[in-house]
Amino acid sequence: MTQLLRAEGLTFGYDAGVVLHRVAVVLNGGEVVALIGPNGSGKSTLIKVLIGLLRGEGTVEWEGREIGIWKRRQLARRVAYLPQTPACEGGQTVAEVLRLGRAPYWGAFGVESLRDAEVVGEVSQTLGLGELMNRRMEEISGGQRQRVFIGRCLIQEPAAMLLDEPNTFLDLKHQVELGELLRRLAKERGIGVLMASHDLNLAGAFADRMVLLCGGKVVKSGAVGEVLDAELLSRVYGVRMERVERAGGSPVVIPVVPD
Amino acid sequence: MNRWSVSRLLATVGVSALLWALLAGACLLVGSTGEIAIPDWPTAKVRIEPVFLASLVGAALAAAGVVYQAILRNPLADPYLLGVSSGAMLFSYLWELGAAGIVVGAVGGAVSQQGFAFVGAMLAVGVVFVLASSRGSLEPITLLLVGVIVNAVNGSVFLLVNAVTKDRPATGGPLAFLVGGIQTNLTRQQMWVAGVVIAVGWMWLMYLSGQLNVAPLSDGEAEALGVRIGRLRWGGLVVGSLVTAAAVAISGPIGFVGLVCPHLARLVAGSDVRRVLPLATALGAGLLAVANAASRYLAREGMAATLLPVGVLTGLLGGPFFLLLLWQTRRTVGGEGGK
Repeated sequence: MTQLLRAEGLTFGYDAGVVLHRVAVVLNGGEVVALIGPNGSGKSTLIKVLIGLLRGEGTVEWEGREIGIWKRRQLARRVAYLPQTPACEGGQTVAEVLRLGRAPYWGAFGVESLRDAEVVGEVSQTLGLGELMNRRMEEISGGQRQRVFIGRCLIQEPAAMLLDEPNTFLDLKHQVELGELLRRLAKERGIGVLMASHDLNLAGAFADRMVLLCGGKVVKSGAVGEVLDAELLSRVYGVRMERVERAGGSPVVIPVVPD
Repeated sequence: MNRWSVSRLLATVGVSALLWALLAGACLLVGSTGEIAIPDWPTAKVRIEPVFLASLVGAALAAAGVVYQAILRNPLADPYLLGVSSGAMLFSYLWELGAAGIVVGAVGGAVSQQGFAFVGAMLAVGVVFVLASSRGSLEPITLLLVGVIVNAVNGSVFLLVNAVTKDRPATGGPLAFLVGGIQTNLTRQQMWVAGVVIAVGWMWLMYLSGQLNVAPLSDGEAEALGVRIGRLRWGGLVVGSLVTAAAVAISGPIGFVGLVCPHLARLVAGSDVRRVLPLATALGAGLLAVANAASRYLAREGMAATLLPVGVLTGLLGGPFFLLLLWQTRRTVGGEGGK
């Protein structure tokens, strides 16, 4: 597996205090890594530091090159990022949103190459968006919208995708579908996926590895079975948790609500 | 999916230019006297200049409107928002008073009224940028607020100067500065300067049109799509303001063109700035040429005592039209902004 991302000693703080403290993360091609942790544990901030939107102390290297050396346009061809609530203009069609994914490849005057058109067509087919291309974004469902935004990321032809809680606003069925899609993309295309998630079990079901953040520090990092530890999670989340083993699948954890 | 190729770019610019040429050509038929007919060459020569000037101003305002709306992430953004017109208006008036030997005689005598207005426009925008920027970055909302405040202050200073001035210039008066019109006293040099600033600015905006497509997204998404959003925002606003200032300096504030034309273009071409920019520019140029011809027509029919400033017409037509647009948009999307 190729190592895409290596980050070490990441420390970042706002005026209010330190948000990340000596965090280390690695992302390899073809794997899905789930970033979990309570609200305010630093998941979103970590993702922003990794993509270079925020600069802190420590090292972030994409494909062996320090992030400061990357030109924005070059990095956009290798790493895609999806925030918690992606934006689109009122009245924009699905096709218009999708083709923005090629912005890092456009020439002067926004001229598109044959390859640009090809990739948009290809990805829209893969994600089953062909029928929706001329629909406005406000006319389609939340699940479809999220698929469009994932599509926009894929159209960047990235080696890695950083997704900040991509499950927000999705119902259970669409959450599972999204998880399956990300897993498929990782396995079939060798893309490295790092996603922040609030749903421990769903993240556990689709991720190869998990990173548990608490108070801006990595508390535990490793295989799903190791991180989904009832005692550890109880401490981190401040709720009593119980772990249930499943035959042939990753374990699940459930909060125990006292009667 | 229609690929945005070089030939498509040229075709879009060509069709837009043709649209403008048809409208502008039709405007040449209308004079303030005589029949509406194909004019003879001496008459056409007289009409070509106002048609071109009106087109130039309209094109500039519409293009600036497209850029402001994208970069400020606000569909109601107008090229005058950042103080351009109020700065130009104030300095234009000061020049007039200066020429009358009251306030800025020394400076006023050295440059033309248009040049002075241009300086005023850029000064006002400069003040807005300085006040709204924090550590080099411009936040759209702060920018809009500061723009509104600077506009209000300029307006008050204008009225204050007017109130304390005893010797008012014989021509114009303060009202003449509040509504824009195509001026007839411009020298060739002034027209060329405005034309070159607007043409170069427009080309630069077209060059960036791909990146401008990304500007309405969040800063994080724009950066992740390879666009240095801070740099683009600065560049777009500075060039947009230069283009607007060049237009305002020769025409005064002409309302609604920069607001309505980008929306009209979007109705036809969708949200893609690469298509919207040339089309809106042509519509702006055409609309102002038509408004200019309409003012000649009204004078010819005896419905107005003098040539009405085009600003009066665009305001009268643009206001209700814009409300209609707003109402239709709200109806089609059920009142949701879509964000």
